[in-house]
Amino acid sequence: MTAVQTEVLLQTLISGILLGGLYALIGIGMTIIMGVMKIINLAHGELMMVGMYIAYVLYAYFHIDPYLSILIAAPALFLLGMALQKYLINPVVKVDSILPENQVILTVGIGMVLANLATIIFKSDYLQTPVSYGTKAWYLSDLWKQAPIELSLSFPWSVSFVVALLITACLWFFLAKTDMGKSIRATAQDKDAALLMGVNVGRMRVITFGLGSALVGSAGCLFIPIYYIYPDIGGQFTLIAFVITILGGLGSTVGAIIGGLILGLFESLTATYIGMGWAPVGRFVIFVAVLIFIPGGVASLLKSRKFGK
Amino acid sequence: MKRLALAIAVMFACFVFSTTLLAADTLDLTIPLPLTGKQAKFGEIMKRSYEMAAEEINAKGGIKSKKLALSFEDSSGKPETARAIVEKLIDVKKQPVIVGEYTSACAKAVAAVAEERKTPYLVVASADDAITQQNYKYVFRQNQVNAHYADAFVSFLQEVVKPKTIAVLYESSAFGTSGADAMEKDAKALGIQVVLKEKFETGAIDFKPLLSKVKAAQPDVVYTVSYANEAQLIMKQIKEIRLEAKLFAGGAAGFAIPEFIDGAKDAAEYVISATLWTPQVKYPGAKEFANKYKAKHGDFPSYHGASAYSALYVTADALNRAKDWTQDGIRDALKATNLMTAFAPVKFEDKEGYQNQNFAETLAIQVLKGEFETIWPKNQASKPYVFPVPTWKERR
Repeated sequence: MTAVQTEVLLQTLISGILLGGLYALIGIGMTIIMGVMKIINLAHGELMMVGMYIAYVLYAYFHIDPYLSILIAAPALFLLGMALQKYLINPVVKVDSILPENQVILTVGIGMVLANLATIIFKSDYLQTPVSYGTKAWYLSDLWKQAPIELSLSFPWSVSFVVALLITACLWFFLAKTDMGKSIRATAQDKDAALLMGVNVGRMRVITFGLGSALVGSAGCLFIPIYYIYPDIGGQFTLIAFVITILGGLGSTVGAIIGGLILGLFESLTATYIGMGWAPVGRFVIFVAVLIFIPGGVASLLKSRKFGK
Repeated sequence: MKRLALAIAVMFACFVFSTTLLAADTLDLTIPLPLTGKQAKFGEIMKRSYEMAAEEINAKGGIKSKKLALSFEDSSGKPETARAIVEKLIDVKKQPVIVGEYTSACAKAVAAVAEERKTPYLVVASADDAITQQNYKYVFRQNQVNAHYADAFVSFLQEVVKPKTIAVLYESSAFGTSGADAMEKDAKALGIQVVLKEKFETGAIDFKPLLSKVKAAQPDVVYTVSYANEAQLIMKQIKEIRLEAKLFAGGAAGFAIPEFIDGAKDAAEYVISATLWTPQVKYPGAKEFANKYKAKHGDFPSYHGASAYSALYVTADALNRAKDWTQDGIRDALKATNLMTAFAPVKFEDKEGYQNQNFAETLAIQVLKGEFETIWPKNQASKPYVFPVPTWKERR
């Protein structure tokens, strides 16, 4: 392999991992909602869009850095998510209907309302937060003068990646170590058993939806320094989250992290070695392949290893 | 009681009378445009420009003493929506002429409907060559075709840059694909080797894998055809990975609107783009339009605005000359157009396999100190070009 080829490969892998970390955060939010509620939240991307707009408004009017705005956007999205679950989705759960997928359809409706509200408030302009460090990067040749190859590591991408990891770590701690986290996991594993053990299942659902929204809202804040927003941006991220959720195994947090990284790396490698126009095709090839060959996703592979099946 | 009834009757009569009078005095024109969705930014520029033109036309007495009443319908850049809107305009509202739309995909859909229903359609800023290559009798295009978009830029390459290799990146849309094909053809004609020709999806986030591939190919010129946001992201990420080339260039659209400089900031400096119009062109009315637009909306308009503004003048001119306001009457009048506008001289010709196509001179612009400056052809230039451009390391 020549130096140039190595450089291209390494740069691609760096991009893929950074992108995958961000994807993972989007996917986790959807997957924990999936685990507890047993529904796919198709308003996921729109919730991310709300987070991005919060970050934008804070930047444009109060000059707050998009990364700091996570501290405001995440709680705001948490409350919004809880309200959606409590006042819109829960009432629908109680109603017997011909379609058991009623709640999924409801989330589509919620997504549309959010997107159209954003259109009314912000028009369909493309908005950005032109942060001063937008194109800052670290270069290998600055650190090591005689480097045979040149690699770069983007500053905003790296910060977003690290923050995404921190948030994920906090989430893991919350789910594994706290009482409430354990109750949420119990609800996800067996709703009826959890109910019998005295877990307030209804409340757990409300909190989980809030948590999922807060996660994707923070993902929005991490995306805005490197991307842009417009009201209809949600759809593409809902799709990515959906693919990751399937790839990782429905409801599995670890699966979503691995799924996000796989998708990020896969997209980057496709872009370099096949062609960037093929990225959407690749995404769906993964999607279909996972459904056919490993229907349980990454999570089922991890499980079968653990129990030595 | 009787008096009251009478008063009401009189008021009612007045109302009916006034509305009929009003209806007789206005000419309704509904323009399909992308006002939401990805192309909304372009739609907005065009909408503002149409409105300015309508205001001026009405202030000068309207068309055959009828006031022009504009309204807009949002197609969100979706061909099926654009098609439905135009079907409604022709079949239900009986509008005898269609003006508008932006993306090539939408304009193609509208052109097919217009031709089928024998209604003249004036294409304003859609570039795909195929639109006026299908022997349509009722479709007219005011802006230059994609094959010629880069004419000025290509002559700049030939006379100044003299590159050996070029990399062409393009968006996977009708506009992107045809623009890239045209550039490939031009490059071959000039003996420039196309080392890489790659497309990317709209809405892509990370271009670095693609760009590191470009970097490895070491082209002299990197030429990109895309709409708004990808143009900014690509330039930012080119700076990030320090992709060095003699020249970075874009094919109009996303590279020629003010948002490009706002979004890409210092990464936009020295980027050259093909364009159809700049506020600095020396056509009568161009400067006035640009200044008026800037005073009203804070930014200079892009060529999209100028084309929309002039399209309404072209339409008004045809309506003034038409012997009657039937579809064929207006078509014949449009065909005979020979008008100097702020955008360019407009004349619809059949040549090079195009029908009813206006062939206007194109320009090249360069971002210098955060402003678009016209640099080519020399007789239109507002500032001398900067070439070769400094490397990213030198710029720090």
